Amino acid sequence: MGAFLVKCLGFAVVTLLAVLSLVFVVVRIVPGDPAQVILGDQADATAIAAMRTRLGLDAPLIEQYWSFLTGAIRGDWGVSLVTGRPVIQEILAVLPWTLELTLVSMLIGVAIGVPLGVWAAINRNRMPDYVTRIASLLGLSFPPFVSAIILLILFSIMLRWFPVISAGSGSLSAWFQAMALPALNLGLIMAAYITRVARSAMLEVMQEDYVRSARAKGVPWRVVVWRHALRNALIPVITIVGLYLGILIGNSVLTEIVFNRPGLGKLIVGALNQRDYTMLQGMMVIYTLIVVLVNIATDLTYAMVDPRVKLS
Amino acid sequence: MTKTRLIAAAALAGALLATPALAQKTVLTVGMQSSDAGVLDPHLNSGTPGKAMLQWMFNGLVRIKPGELSPEFMEPDLAESWTSSNDGKEWTFKLRQGVQCHHGYGEFTSEDAVYSLGRSASKDSSAFSSDYSAFDKVEAPDKYTVKITLKQAVPSLLGIVMNYHGGNMVCKKAAEELGKEGFAKKPVGTGPFMFQEYVPQQYAKLAANPNYFRGKPKLTEILYRFIPSDSSRDLAFQAGELDMMIGRQEQAWVDRMTALPGVKVVAMGPAEMSVLHLNMSQPPLDNLKVRQAIAHAIDRNAIWQFRGKNISRPSVSVVPSGYLGTDEKAPLLPFDLAKSKALLAEAGFPNGVTIKAINTTLPSMLSFTEATQALLKRAGITLEIQPVEHATFHQQIRQDLSQVVHFQAARFPVADVYLSQFFHSRAIVKTPTAVTNFSHCNVADAEIDAARSETDKAKQLELWKTAQKKIIDQVCAIPVNEMMQLWAYKDSLDLGYELKASLNLGPPVLETTRFTK
Repeated sequence: MGAFLVKCLGFAVVTLLAVLSLVFVVVRIVPGDPAQVILGDQADATAIAAMRTRLGLDAPLIEQYWSFLTGAIRGDWGVSLVTGRPVIQEILAVLPWTLELTLVSMLIGVAIGVPLGVWAAINRNRMPDYVTRIASLLGLSFPPFVSAIILLILFSIMLRWFPVISAGSGSLSAWFQAMALPALNLGLIMAAYITRVARSAMLEVMQEDYVRSARAKGVPWRVVVWRHALRNALIPVITIVGLYLGILIGNSVLTEIVFNRPGLGKLIVGALNQRDYTMLQGMMVIYTLIVVLVNIATDLTYAMVDPRVKLS
Repeated sequence: MTKTRLIAAAALAGALLATPALAQKTVLTVGMQSSDAGVLDPHLNSGTPGKAMLQWMFNGLVRIKPGELSPEFMEPDLAESWTSSNDGKEWTFKLRQGVQCHHGYGEFTSEDAVYSLGRSASKDSSAFSSDYSAFDKVEAPDKYTVKITLKQAVPSLLGIVMNYHGGNMVCKKAAEELGKEGFAKKPVGTGPFMFQEYVPQQYAKLAANPNYFRGKPKLTEILYRFIPSDSSRDLAFQAGELDMMIGRQEQAWVDRMTALPGVKVVAMGPAEMSVLHLNMSQPPLDNLKVRQAIAHAIDRNAIWQFRGKNISRPSVSVVPSGYLGTDEKAPLLPFDLAKSKALLAEAGFPNGVTIKAINTTLPSMLSFTEATQALLKRAGITLEIQPVEHATFHQQIRQDLSQVVHFQAARFPVADVYLSQFFHSRAIVKTPTAVTNFSHCNVADAEIDAARSETDKAKQLELWKTAQKKIIDQVCAIPVNEMMQLWAYKDSLDLGYELKASLNLGPPVLETTRFTK
């Protein structure tokens, strides 16, 4: 276990370094001048040049890279080129919002997806299977911003159950009001993925010899499904949850914008539009860290669910 | 009636009478199309979300009457009165006494005004320093007098000491104490509302300034919400969660909002003028006849219809309409397809020409260029559009990479600004003094320069008129139409003035602004 974690951390550091270097190069290759964006249309060339100097963008690239890298190692990710506020502060201010949304959506996805997938599998080629398959296909085909608008029109405008915009702080009910629709929006997409994976994994497991022999021995159907089959069928589901957590964070960009929730998604779109190099670099560190950590957590969960998996 | 009953009846009557007053809203919630307002320092922020909000917190020495745009409506703000020397190089402002800075930073005096203008003129602390390049010195002869000495006369001097961009007056003690970064997080001015809280990506909260020199504001708070999604903003407004919001520049938006009950929709100035700048340094646009052919092929009325009759209007000159010095009867080349084709043939292109435009992907600007493309096609002119993301567009057009540049902009409403930035040779792109002269136009330098220091108003207007005619004759650029700024608000909100325009791109919220129910 210890060796596994050391190996994982080693990989994480190498991945982070690679991503940081790549991001550093890519944001500078993309055309668009942060100094121009900050100063606006009316700034003359001299003012823009002065701003570039102030932001340190006229220093040689290698010098900029070195100061960025050494800064990052010290935990200093610099200040946002646009707002002048420390990058780490800006990210930490919104990170909990994205994590919270992602986790709640994931829980909704698992809570709906796993039972539905199992239900579809044990009723293969019957009505529940057809209904589930069509529903999950629908869930997969809806772009998150379209479903977000539909949810808003339905629950906020027509039924008036939830506010369109909500800061979601102060009380539990405020938190729930702000969380319900965005989490449902992402959770349903997640559920659609999980349903499909759980269904096919379950179908496969149900064909296995040990299931057949359990049934032949007279083990009750319910026990066979929930105790013997599901445990093994969960392995691919865990993979998909781990894998799609990254996608979920990506999808949260659109969800955050439509539901007007603070979060990494909104931050990264703003940073991209404004060519806020330092902010983009900081954000990529966070994204990479999250993906790396989720992968490690996925591997650990495998071992917990399936005793055959050894961490080494 | 017993005494107890009398008291109860009086209490009930009192409660009934008091109810409307208690129920009256005093918090104004505004929705802005942005995920953030950016840096909150008025001398650094040039974006719409920031400008619209900062104007509620800051004053200038002077201001344009709320709701108006033209400098002819200039009126006192922190300065009670002002005088200028005959040659226009010395300006003296007498300040109001007893004006208080927000958050207990003391009285606003000439020392603060001198500090503010010095800060605006410095490249290190201001994005608008070039506006102040003609400043020689700013002095404070006494506590309530500010004296500005200029190197040369500036036609719009009051425009750069008003509550707009660098003209916003900051409080020296606060700016020095908080430092540049601190001040940008907690701006301190003298306006009717003062900064209270800023939550990134969510909102900025401003509280009424109880010591405001024009009187305590009737609203107690402004909640300025950042809502980048157009649909969400519209839905939130429809659900009553916003009292006021910025609109999208589409006729369909105006039609939809106007149909809602209890809603006022305003198409206000300054209008952003859409201009096609033709790069005269490159063939075939170096040929005057080709440029004229392009101008004759563009039907301004068709574009006006296309963009929406309530939200746009056809251009009248190379300077937007309503600016001081705009020649409203400028001789723009009329739409004439036959003439356009004939001119192309005369220029040696009987089979038409192909020209290239790098264009932003911003939907309203891209659709304009696509409509223009369709119009030009009828005259045999092929406009190849290369759409790029907005920041890329801005960089590439300044690198002189586009033959045709569609630029949409509003400026301080004095002809000098538009002419200097877009048509003076000093502003030609890729030069050290470059601004936004994409066409390499240099035909009216003499008139633009002469008008700057001309103190005789009539002669100044004549010089600007000649400059416009020369630019139009040479077809440096083709002005097409002007797009208004759109805002919607509840009709229970009484702004306290008639909203026709706002230079800061958001409606002024004054001490008199209130809800009627």
